[in-house]
Amino acid sequence: MQRTAVNPGAVEWSGENPGIYLKSDPDKDYSVVAVFFRIVLSPHGRGVGAIVLGAPASMAAYPDAPNMCLTDNRPMMEYLITNFVSKFPTFAGQKGLDAMSWHDVTDNKQDNRNMPHSYSEELVSDAVQLQMTWKGLKAPMAVEVGPEASATKAHDMYAVFAEATDASITINGTNLPGQVATRQFFGRTMSTAFLALSETWVTPL
Amino acid sequence: MPIVPHVRTGAIDWTGENPGMLLKTDPDGDWSVLALFFRIVWSPVGPGNMLLLFENPLSATGLPETCNVIMSDNEALRDYIKTGFIEKLGTFGGAPAYNTASQLTIDNVVTHGDPTSDFYSETITGGGQEIKLVWENLGEPTALELPPELTGTGEHTMYSLLVDAKTAYVEVNGRRLEGETVPREQAGLALSSAFLYFSETWVFPD
Repeated sequence: MQRTAVNPGAVEWSGENPGIYLKSDPDKDYSVVAVFFRIVLSPHGRGVGAIVLGAPASMAAYPDAPNMCLTDNRPMMEYLITNFVSKFPTFAGQKGLDAMSWHDVTDNKQDNRNMPHSYSEELVSDAVQLQMTWKGLKAPMAVEVGPEASATKAHDMYAVFAEATDASITINGTNLPGQVATRQFFGRTMSTAFLALSETWVTPL
Repeated sequence: MPIVPHVRTGAIDWTGENPGMLLKTDPDGDWSVLALFFRIVWSPVGPGNMLLLFENPLSATGLPETCNVIMSDNEALRDYIKTGFIEKLGTFGGAPAYNTASQLTIDNVVTHGDPTSDFYSETITGGGQEIKLVWENLGEPTALELPPELTGTGEHTMYSLLVDAKTAYVEVNGRRLEGETVPREQAGLALSSAFLYFSETWVFPD
């Protein structure tokens, strides 16, 4: 297969983008969808953030429903939501994405010392302490896709994915309900909990 | 040519960030300063930080005579990167300083600046040393996907996000080392010898 050594497109952002999608009933829609961002390069600078929709279809926000965005860079997260997250199939059309509450992050702790057994990200704001934990990480794989196969249908994307056999999300110490499920991902059956490391999105020329 | 969906079947060697700089006091002479920093988020021996700094690559010495150092906060990772990667990069692994460099433990790493601005720095402390790497006059980010024949090891496929730096320098405990960037070429691009590499992944052959 012929490859392109230098991508002539415009780089949008780069960083880490792990996610956790949980189901309370394996035969129904996701009960929880959540993604974390650690951005090292974007048009709006660097930063961390997370979107947690614990009631994805509900037009409600925390504390009425566990739908929230936490970040230390709001312009960056607004850019990511408008141009990327809102186009991801898991998040597209979810009412919780429009209704979620916003919280300024005052502290972030990443714990990667126990990989591949576990990996966690913690975000702290005035009202919310969010913990996302991935367990049982498998060997990672490198993926590259063009617009036809990328989640936005508009970008080239390079990333390293490592699926997790289990995962959990806690808000102020309380677990959100649901279990990790499986999905088809680039021709493979993979867990809905995953690390996405060294991820770069490019708008094709 | 647009990229197409592709899942690499080769195992991942490591992934993370890998900025560096190669400086000269005489554009026609040997390298006067070599610096390469690693912020690795996944490897078979875990994540961690690592720095190679050769104040005088041609001198088979270490501290206190010369700040030729190899620093890390993960010894297994340091050894993995040295044998599997650095020793395949002739510029670093073949330098007389490589075998005599003092091996130190990293206590802390602090990042300042933004790669979309004109300034970016990493400050690495440990073993009584505070080493500040500074990149300036930064270029547009460019996504690379290099086949083995275009990589430093000649063995891996490599993905990376390059930000070129026209100027760069190193400070050791507040003392600026001598040397300037020089032109280099990579994958047909005219670049400087100072660079930021983000989201870099080295993949063994399929």
